Amino acid sequence: MSILDTLEITASGLTAQRLRLQTVASNMANARTTRTDEGGPYKRQMPVMEAVNNDQFGSALDQQLAKVEVVRIEESTEPPVMVHDPGHPDANEEGYVAYPNVNVLEEMVDLMTTSRTFEANANVIEVTELMATQALEIGGR
Amino acid sequence: MSNFMFDGLHHGLGKVLDLRMSQHSLTATNLANADTPGFKAKVIPFDRILAEVVDRSQTLTMRQTREGHLPGLNADPSDPQVDEIEAPPWAADGNSVVAEREAVRLKENSTMFTGVSRGLSRRLAMMRFAASDGTR
Repeated sequence: MSILDTLEITASGLTAQRLRLQTVASNMANARTTRTDEGGPYKRQMPVMEAVNNDQFGSALDQQLAKVEVVRIEESTEPPVMVHDPGHPDANEEGYVAYPNVNVLEEMVDLMTTSRTFEANANVIEVTELMATQALEIGGR
Repeated sequence: MSNFMFDGLHHGLGKVLDLRMSQHSLTATNLANADTPGFKAKVIPFDRILAEVVDRSQTLTMRQTREGHLPGLNADPSDPQVDEIEAPPWAADGNSVVAEREAVRLKENSTMFTGVSRGLSRRLAMMRFAASDGTR
């Protein structure tokens, strides 16, 4: 375990949050998209995160350290939101349009927590640098 | 006094720095996994280690006759156990990382690191002073 490992763990956290931000952006942009390549309305995207052990063969303490990895991006299985709008070109026979299962308010909350977590991770980098510098200054004058 | 230069304190202070660095890595792990479902926050229980060390100086320790044997209660705290914080029942995804608590721990840990590294520097400065005949 070294300072560089710590930085790598933090970097994985930053990457995961950035990916999450991308899915939020995609969800918000497509909040009203009714046509996709697979047909049907856009489905809400969600990153699936997993803690990945850094060092399987290290000391007991090293084995506790874990990076985070976005293993895949999954689509929400929630049903689409049906809105009665007979004039819409994508309306079905009963006049209902299937809109994406994206709740913009939920996405906003996600956006905020993502930004806070990103900030916290960025803070770790600063403190890591501070501690490393101090360790190098031991015995200096 | 004869043992000033190579007493256990240098070693001890170095160990504390190691432990603080380890705690720092754990905090980094916790914050990186702040959104990982089922992830449990991990900490080094410094207060418990201190209590164990204080306790150890008053009681007998178990002797290890072989390296692979379990060390018993009064073990060397340099490779400590890591505590996992359980998630509260209302945490839907089973994640027990609380960002604010981690932020505080981050700050506290780096402050302690600063304190110990300054202490170590002072000691080295004293040695330098003594070694240079007190001329600087």
